Amino acid sequence: MQTFHPQPIAWPDNAASIRAQVRSIIAAHPRHPDPAKRANSWAVADPAFSARLGAEGLIGMTWPKEYGGHARSNLERYVVLEELLAAGAPVGAHWIADRQTGGMLLRYGHETEKQRWLPGMARGAIFACIGLSEPNAGSDLASVRTQARKRGDRWIIDGQKVWTTGAHFSHLMIALVRTAEGSQRNEGLSQFVIPMDAPGVSIKPIIDLTGGHDFNEVFFDGVELPETALAGIEGEGWKQATAELSLERSGPERYLSSTALFLELLRHVGESPDPAVRQLVGRLAADMWTLRMMSATVAAKLADGEDPALEATIVKDLGNSFEQAMPGLVQATIDIDPASTTALTRVLEHLLQVAPSFSLRGGTREILKGIIARGLGLR
Amino acid sequence: MNEQQNMLSDMANGVFAELRDTPAAEAWARIEALGLPSLLIREADGGFGGSWQDALVVFRLAGHHALSTPLVEAILAAGAGTHLGFAGRGTIASRSEGRLENGRFTGTLAGVVAGPRADFVVAPLGDRSVVVDLSQARFVEETHFSGASRTVIGIDGARAAASELRIFALGAFARSAQIAGALDAALVMAVHYVNERWQFGKTLAKFQAVQQNLATFACEAAAANCAAMGAAQALDRGDGAFEVAAAKLRANQAAGIGTAIAHQAHGAIGFTHEFGLHPLTRRLWSWRSEFGGDAYWANLLGAGILARGADHFWADLAARTD
Ligand SMILES: Cc1cc2nc3c(=O)[nH]c(=O)nc-3n(C[C@H](O)[C@H](O)[C@H](O)COP(=O)(O)OP(=O)(O)OC[C@H]3O[C@@H](n4cnc5c(N)ncnc54)[C@H](O)[C@@H]3O)c2cc1C
Repeated sequence: MQTFHPQPIAWPDNAASIRAQVRSIIAAHPRHPDPAKRANSWAVADPAFSARLGAEGLIGMTWPKEYGGHARSNLERYVVLEELLAAGAPVGAHWIADRQTGGMLLRYGHETEKQRWLPGMARGAIFACIGLSEPNAGSDLASVRTQARKRGDRWIIDGQKVWTTGAHFSHLMIALVRTAEGSQRNEGLSQFVIPMDAPGVSIKPIIDLTGGHDFNEVFFDGVELPETALAGIEGEGWKQATAELSLERSGPERYLSSTALFLELLRHVGESPDPAVRQLVGRLAADMWTLRMMSATVAAKLADGEDPALEATIVKDLGNSFEQAMPGLVQATIDIDPASTTALTRVLEHLLQVAPSFSLRGGTREILKGIIARGLGLR
Repeated sequence: MNEQQNMLSDMANGVFAELRDTPAAEAWARIEALGLPSLLIREADGGFGGSWQDALVVFRLAGHHALSTPLVEAILAAGAGTHLGFAGRGTIASRSEGRLENGRFTGTLAGVVAGPRADFVVAPLGDRSVVVDLSQARFVEETHFSGASRTVIGIDGARAAASELRIFALGAFARSAQIAGALDAALVMAVHYVNERWQFGKTLAKFQAVQQNLATFACEAAAANCAAMGAAQALDRGDGAFEVAAAKLRANQAAGIGTAIAHQAHGAIGFTHEFGLHPLTRRLWSWRSEFGGDAYWANLLGAGILARGADHFWADLAARTD
């Protein structure tokens, strides 16, 4: 039976100075006038802010220097991430490149592709998107149908991805596609690095329920790629994508998406609100503190070279439930005037609408619980 | 866990499992012979000089094995009372009313664990503690909560000393650790049970609803365990006021969710006196309220955070580990 093994966390000695650096960058950057932009801020793209972080050496922090990285420790990077998210900084443009695409390229990418993409990613100038979901492959990812066929020394991609966050401003996608014709389920899949400006790639926006444009449909129509575009080993795509999901699920963004609401709540209610509010604040803080310990434990395990996939799944599930429940709890406890334009109202109404996605993106609650149940030995 | 903690864990695991069916007096003798009660006594005073993370190992396992011997309380009491000159078997209380004057205490102690068998007790007094000799104590009343028996004790001018320790918070830390251990044990039982029990031609484990509930349980148990670890680390750094409050509150919530799922998964058999689930779940219900229920700690944490305000919240939180 496999569960979560807690361990004491050795925070980096220079954590305080890293925080000071991040805070001064945020303070110097023009603040978006809409407070709602500080909620769920890893979905808010601001290329100028990404470039600033890149210039400060805070993207690709753990990557080797030869690819533009900074050879810092995973826990130093963790400190940067939690500072950015807690402040509601607009990190959406480079988030995916920094979190998973860069790491995947380092591990599986052809040398040519590494040199082509990584230095720009670390500068905060090159952005990436995730090509996993398809119309008929959601939770059931092994149903992907997008195909890659070998023609001479080229790969030809045909098919479609969907729900692709940031495809419209990204420079590349790592996509999971079928390389063995007629293969079933998780056999015969491979990963490819696809430049978003390659001929035959087209992008169609999908507008979300708030009217916002974050995700897209991406179509591939005879897209020609060089051999170097194959990432890793042909046919090993499923295993690689599973490793990618580990990276995707492991970070502090999986519990901090509603932090802006907690802060606006504190601002709104002042020092001595009624006991119901006081207790809500205490409960949320205890949850947040616990999740921080859990999330940092995952980072520490990654730093030690372990693969804490199950731990990350547990933190994501708990974290998503926490950040998802917060808007409803605040709405139930505080009298909100929907006609007002206070920061609390703005942030709350935004989060009420986007919170349902927290337990969908990156793997749904039910899928995560299935993984946890497998760890328990139930399936 | 470090080397020492591994040894401590092996020893505690072994002896706690054996003690399940041992009579109380004999069990205490075994535990004393192993030196476990002196875990938190300073080395200078002849103790083990253990850290709070060492204590976490033992407290958690005491919860895991639903240990009846009041060792956790004895460890905390010895840590507080030995260097003040209190010898023998110590225990703790969750409440006191009375006065400490010229080394004498007069008043009542409530929620005393295993009072009649103890030589001295450490009880909260104001926001610190008082250590009281029990040799001339009057046992006023026995109270029960979810199978846990406690005593109210009347004290009339007994030898006593003030302690700088905050025994209420340390009791809360101990209960958080015990909750974490007991939840893990109940989870193991539930997983085992649904893998063995057949209904509808397959094991219960094959039903997705059952799987998802137990996954939720596993998340709660993980949260309680990580919270207890975070609190132990903070106590070892020297100030665990915030962390102990947060850990107890989080553990309390996990206890509520975990016990409900554990019983649901076991069906009627888990509701019987004969089956071994209730020694865990009934303790969990009692520990949830003891040394601060959800509302108590939520109020305390909330008030502290509100007084500091939005602009300090995150910086304060981060600074506690930097
Ligand atoms: C905001 C947002 C951003 C996203 N960004 C990206 C992206 O950049 N790239 C990308 O590839 N994808 C992205 N996704 C897609 C995301 O990964 C999928 O939404 C997710 O995997 C679920 O797939 P689905 O939406 O098709 O739902 P479905 O799989 O159809 O599921 C619908 C419901 O049924 C439940 N369900 C499904 N299977 C089971 C089962 N076996 N047992 C029990 N319940 C089940 C699910 O849990 C869910 O509740 C994004 C999604 C969102 C909401």
